[in-house]
Amino acid sequence: MTINRHSTRGRTACPVAATLSRRGLLRATLGGLAGAGACGWMPAFAERFADDPQRTRHCVLLWMAGGPSQIDTFDLKPGHANGGEFKEIETTVPGLRFSEHLPRLAQLADHMAILRGMSTAEGDHGRGTYLMHTGRPPEGPIRYPTIGAAVSKELSDATAPLPGFVTVAAGQTFNRAAFQSGFLGPRHAPLAVAARNDVRSLQQIEADQDFARLEIEDLGPPAEVGLGQAARRARLLQELQSDFTARHVGGASAMHHTTVQRAIQMVHSDAADAFDLTTEPDAVREMYGRGRFGQGCLLARRLIERGVPFVEVVLGDQGGWDTHTANFPSVAALSAELDAGWASLMEELNDRGLLESTTILWMGEFGRTPRINGNAGRDHFPQAWTSVLAGGGINGGQAYGQTDAGGMTVVDGALSVDDLLATLCGAVGVNSRKQNISEVGRPIRIVDGKPVSELLSDPIVDPPAAEES
Amino acid sequence: MMRGAPSQHVSGTRTMVNFRRRIGVVAVLITLAGSQAHAADPVANPKLTARIDDLLEQQWQADGIEPTRPTSDAEFLRRVSLDLTGVTPTVSAVRDFLADTDPAKRSKLIDRLLDSRRHAVHFARIWREVMLPSSTNEQFRLGAAAPFERWLEQQFVDNRPYDETVRELLVTTGQVNAVGPALFYQAVQFKPEELAASTSRTFLGVQIQCAQCHDHPFDQWTQKDFWGFAAHFAQLRRPDDVAQFRGLVVDTGTGEVMLPDTDVVVQPRLLDGRHLDEALTAGTRREQLARWLASADNPWFARATVNRVWALLFGRGFVDPVDDFGQHNHPSHPELLDLLARDFADHDFDMRRLLRVLTRTRAYQLSSEVTYDAARRRHAFAAMSVKSLSADQIYDCLQRVTGNRLLSSGPPSSSDVAARRAFLAKFDAPTQQVTEFQGGIPQALAMLNGQVVADASHWEKSDLLVAVTDSPFFSNAERLEILFLAALSRMPTDDERNRFEEYIAVPGGEFEASRRLADVLWALINSSEFILNH
Repeated sequence: MTINRHSTRGRTACPVAATLSRRGLLRATLGGLAGAGACGWMPAFAERFADDPQRTRHCVLLWMAGGPSQIDTFDLKPGHANGGEFKEIETTVPGLRFSEHLPRLAQLADHMAILRGMSTAEGDHGRGTYLMHTGRPPEGPIRYPTIGAAVSKELSDATAPLPGFVTVAAGQTFNRAAFQSGFLGPRHAPLAVAARNDVRSLQQIEADQDFARLEIEDLGPPAEVGLGQAARRARLLQELQSDFTARHVGGASAMHHTTVQRAIQMVHSDAADAFDLTTEPDAVREMYGRGRFGQGCLLARRLIERGVPFVEVVLGDQGGWDTHTANFPSVAALSAELDAGWASLMEELNDRGLLESTTILWMGEFGRTPRINGNAGRDHFPQAWTSVLAGGGINGGQAYGQTDAGGMTVVDGALSVDDLLATLCGAVGVNSRKQNISEVGRPIRIVDGKPVSELLSDPIVDPPAAEES
Repeated sequence: MMRGAPSQHVSGTRTMVNFRRRIGVVAVLITLAGSQAHAADPVANPKLTARIDDLLEQQWQADGIEPTRPTSDAEFLRRVSLDLTGVTPTVSAVRDFLADTDPAKRSKLIDRLLDSRRHAVHFARIWREVMLPSSTNEQFRLGAAAPFERWLEQQFVDNRPYDETVRELLVTTGQVNAVGPALFYQAVQFKPEELAASTSRTFLGVQIQCAQCHDHPFDQWTQKDFWGFAAHFAQLRRPDDVAQFRGLVVDTGTGEVMLPDTDVVVQPRLLDGRHLDEALTAGTRREQLARWLASADNPWFARATVNRVWALLFGRGFVDPVDDFGQHNHPSHPELLDLLARDFADHDFDMRRLLRVLTRTRAYQLSSEVTYDAARRRHAFAAMSVKSLSADQIYDCLQRVTGNRLLSSGPPSSSDVAARRAFLAKFDAPTQQVTEFQGGIPQALAMLNGQVVADASHWEKSDLLVAVTDSPFFSNAERLEILFLAALSRMPTDDERNRFEEYIAVPGGEFEASRRLADVLWALINSSEFILNH
């Protein structure tokens, strides 16, 4: 009895690859547990996808934690004292130029709208993170849902084998509530994929010739529970469940039962293979970048292929873009990761015909001061900064908005967070004025802003008057 | 590599502690005789309970609705324990209750639960959620919410008349971090319009906040009603008065509210249209408001409160949602609502009395089992609704199953706090809509595979499992029984006995047997029957 006493303390690292091979075995032993429909859904799903003109729209939010420097990425100021060290390069769109550290994205510029007139009012990481994720400052009695929860609620299919909202590498730095489903409740909360047991730096991962190990929290049974044991447990549960569910029809018991079935089905069916990045060729994995962000972008592609409507991937989770000191080497390194992951994602989605149904939003909590400080860094700057919309539904190949010569103020095309998020909704075909009932009984729109029609490839003719709830 | 000398030392200590705890667990598991001494039933009010039963039964007959069967003792015990104390009963409490032959045992149980410290702890949590916006949960969970919750707990320990509690909240003064109820103001940054909205919604069950910017589209409220109500909070010192504020809730005697985008000052005005008459004008504006708001004269206060308490027990109020009374949303059982409100006001807003009356009704003691006409019967309170547990309740039930002692009050250890906090963060849900299961796939995965449940069903970490396994005098049948009692508060059915005993009785000795028992406990914990209140 005592032989295992010490080995069971704490959880052993359980990377996706290992978890999944355990799962593969489980699947073989579990048979019908997840229901007959669980196997072989992928081809049918792909078929439905191709035929449906109103096919699922998707959204990828690339979140840049810490606040990325606009002047060193998408709004360069060459020749100005604020310009810094980086050079501009041409893109596929005449007159539109990016930083030299984003060469692959420059080749995809015709899919991208660079929003150089972002202007917000929150210069604190926590408040800015909340503002940009919810469209509201963190005040008052209401817990606003993160945009991924609100949009996926509209786009997801409750019977789909995978959840509607997945976050990758989001450690929820600065503000936890900004990443949560708020008053929409845990049903719309994201499934979190993270590198929990892999604390290696990108340099170390590259030196190891390895890839960041991303795991779904609680996907597999705890390490101390054996394979046969897990299968037996699931059967026992099934027996207990069927009795109770039959005696309490509908209501909370039916909802709980369905949710547990979906979770079990996800763990034990082909659906969870989406998370197994080891099935991708090494060359593909390398193209995306070996770190958490690159592998996260690859995972985003795999999830979108399988119909997941909203994926958020974080770069710089511990505030990597917060470059108060030594801005230039940091931004160069982050740009390399960004360029590899994001460009690969767009290229591969495009190859598969999925870019036109996938809208990508790139942003952080704010921009950075045009003026370079005494530590060769840049500080927080919400007054005039840049975000990017790209892909499906977006009128790409343009810079929308403009800052002055030194990047200090927006001189044209000022864009608020509400309008930005409303435009995102417009691009994925979600009515941003749709109301949900908040915990204080007040109906709340998804966002209060208006979509910017110049940014949409299919401009919304008439904003829908109906505000159903 | 990670396991050096210090961790050996820690695990040695832990084993000793565990050993002592296990002895306690075994003692509890085999105790059959409980204390049966009770005070005489203090406020038996068979008349009111009977009247509620009559009114509902008449309605069922008129609508041709068939009520479900009465609950079994085990069903009732689990339900009323969860509703009144937030947690399932212990194994020995279930055994005692099932063995008790006293015909009045259900009423006595209700009294016992209402007198327990756990009742005050549970209701303090519920009322904190009701009184504070949920956005404050996160930031205040370990900070200022603690004094607020302790203050509430004391109100429930003392069974203070509810009108007094509300008045104290409304007139409180003092340092926000020291005086519990002051958080009510700080949570909304002392803004008169937010205080107007939360006060009317929380205590009167009316949504006047839609009238903040314009007259209410489908209810009676005008913009003047809203700002007239908000004017009662206009003279609080605001945090933006940086020089003077100093974190105090204090009435300054000056300050007015104006209609938005105008210079029109709105004077204090009560929601029933009355201006303050002389009897009410003494003291600060908040004192004036409090005297009117929490009183029998107020047409909303008692109704909103009994409706909320009914919803707490039955899953939905007569008016649903509970904070949306008005012309547009008529009560399902108006006569019953009036009866309860009148009785509540006539008896000093005695919360425990109200709970005692409601839990004794036939409707509360009906089974939740329905196989047909489910929605209609549930809405008519002819079948108990199946209710979701709050995150706190799920966590406490898991602690109970492992055999951990629940801290009734006082500061828990920092590791307990961290574990609880992580769990609550994952399962926390808006309090409304308890008749829906709130969790999604992440929560389901956390129950199936997560650390808290893994520990609760671990053959060496669960005190319950260790005690059950290590005690040579238990048969497999008895072991199984204990697991069912601990997790589901009932005996296994004959069918379950057969199936699960066969499952446990496999060759492989103690090693395999302990894992098989753990499997059973894991399955019980993951069942709908465990995670729901039915």
